[in-house]
Amino acid sequence: MAKVLLKFKEAAIREIPLDQDVITIGRKADNDIVIDNQAVSGYHARIKKEGQSLFIEDASSLNGTYINGQKISKGELHNGDVVLIGVHTLDVILEKQIETEAKGFAVRGRSMDETVVIAAEDQKKILASQDKEKPEILGGFIVIEGSTEKRDYLLKERVTTIGKEDGAGIHLKGFFAPKVAALVNRRKEGYFITPAGGKTLKVNGQKVDHKYDLKDGDIVEAGGTKVQFYIKE
Amino acid sequence: MEIIARGRTDIGLVRTNNEDSFYIDDKAGLLVVADGMGGHASGEIASNLAVDVIRDYFKAFKEGRAALIGKFDEEYSEVAKAIGSSVRLANKAIYEAAKSNAGWQGMGTTVAAVAINGNRLSIAHAGDSRVYLVKAGDIEQLTDDHSVVYEQVKRELLTREEAQKSEIKNLLTRALGVASDVEVDVSELTLSAGDILVLCTDGLNSMVSDDDILTLAVSTKDPAAVCDRLVELANKQGGKDNITVIVGYVRNKSWISFLLHFKEWFRR
Repeated sequence: MAKVLLKFKEAAIREIPLDQDVITIGRKADNDIVIDNQAVSGYHARIKKEGQSLFIEDASSLNGTYINGQKISKGELHNGDVVLIGVHTLDVILEKQIETEAKGFAVRGRSMDETVVIAAEDQKKILASQDKEKPEILGGFIVIEGSTEKRDYLLKERVTTIGKEDGAGIHLKGFFAPKVAALVNRRKEGYFITPAGGKTLKVNGQKVDHKYDLKDGDIVEAGGTKVQFYIKE
Repeated sequence: MEIIARGRTDIGLVRTNNEDSFYIDDKAGLLVVADGMGGHASGEIASNLAVDVIRDYFKAFKEGRAALIGKFDEEYSEVAKAIGSSVRLANKAIYEAAKSNAGWQGMGTTVAAVAINGNRLSIAHAGDSRVYLVKAGDIEQLTDDHSVVYEQVKRELLTREEAQKSEIKNLLTRALGVASDVEVDVSELTLSAGDILVLCTDGLNSMVSDDDILTLAVSTKDPAAVCDRLVELANKQGGKDNITVIVGYVRNKSWISFLLHFKEWFRR
């Protein structure tokens, strides 16, 4: 009988016989093949018997379904095919048990615990959505009020200080300006600001005590300066 | 600006050998950590080689006799280009060494290297070893892990919290020695007096939370004591991997600090 072998990296998790006309795959518990991983959609894909052939159909999953590295919406399954769903693979075994050399991930290393490097091709398989990578956001501040050196600051560094200290990205002037008033952090997913040195930080007139995710147009008040955050691209 | 840095490496409680390496030259402002991998103790060779090549390249650069390796964005400083070049060169050295010796096949290493020049910090890294900046009571990771889990975070498939618990944290997307070329991330930042830099291998950050690193880093002004406490805590939490950490305090170069430094130097 046809079956699939669910694997995570090189480790086989379980074997599933394809004994129904439709077999559903997904993260939700009512699927026939449940893969409990964030990279897998609730209802990710289904395997269908059509005549003598087996097909796999993507159920509009977020990260897609791949046969041997090819993204498919529907594709026929052959013996030895490797289906990638999230970070798990399904090895397709049809009819006769053929000992196929695992086409799974060429992972280097000796055990699960050990650090290993994976080949670029396999990274694509695992990540399954190279195209989904978000472009890095670049933002900045326009100074509305206060004594600063420039009117417009692009925030290119990982951490930018607003304050009087040497090296502060947004360098405040004036005797009463605090050394460090706030820190702006840049991450792949965007910017956030944190009050520092016990100074009051306000965003859009509201006092902020912890991390605040900056949005285009936010008005930030720190250390006697008022600036507006903007997203450049 | 100058940096007072100390480091420590520890085998941990589970591994039978230590494959991490590190290097500190606080006078030249160079700090490096590397986490090797591979069979037959070759991980140790790889991480050692990385550290040695970076050290030698940087020395040659300071003496004005090092050529850049590969292309760099023009906006980077000379020091940033040099530290990036040193990591690229280390990759080639490890790759060639691995090819030449059957027992070393498949060896590789991560690297996180920083150079301090004036108030500018230049960072180059590949793999999942990290550089943190502790500033004004806050800690921020300055490097993106080159791991599958982090790629998933970037694509918003996982949150940072879920990533911390992931079972595939050990899958790297980049490392030195795997191919003839490696993509090295280079970045720069402006430092201020009072900032603290922490470089570490994953044996630390997989056992100790960022908040705990922050708390210990600001607990004293003695970098060696902080390293000891961090290693101790990582081992207390399981010590599953080799642990390596460098802690460096950034301060203004004044004649007083010069005197203090001199005293410390004298004590060594």
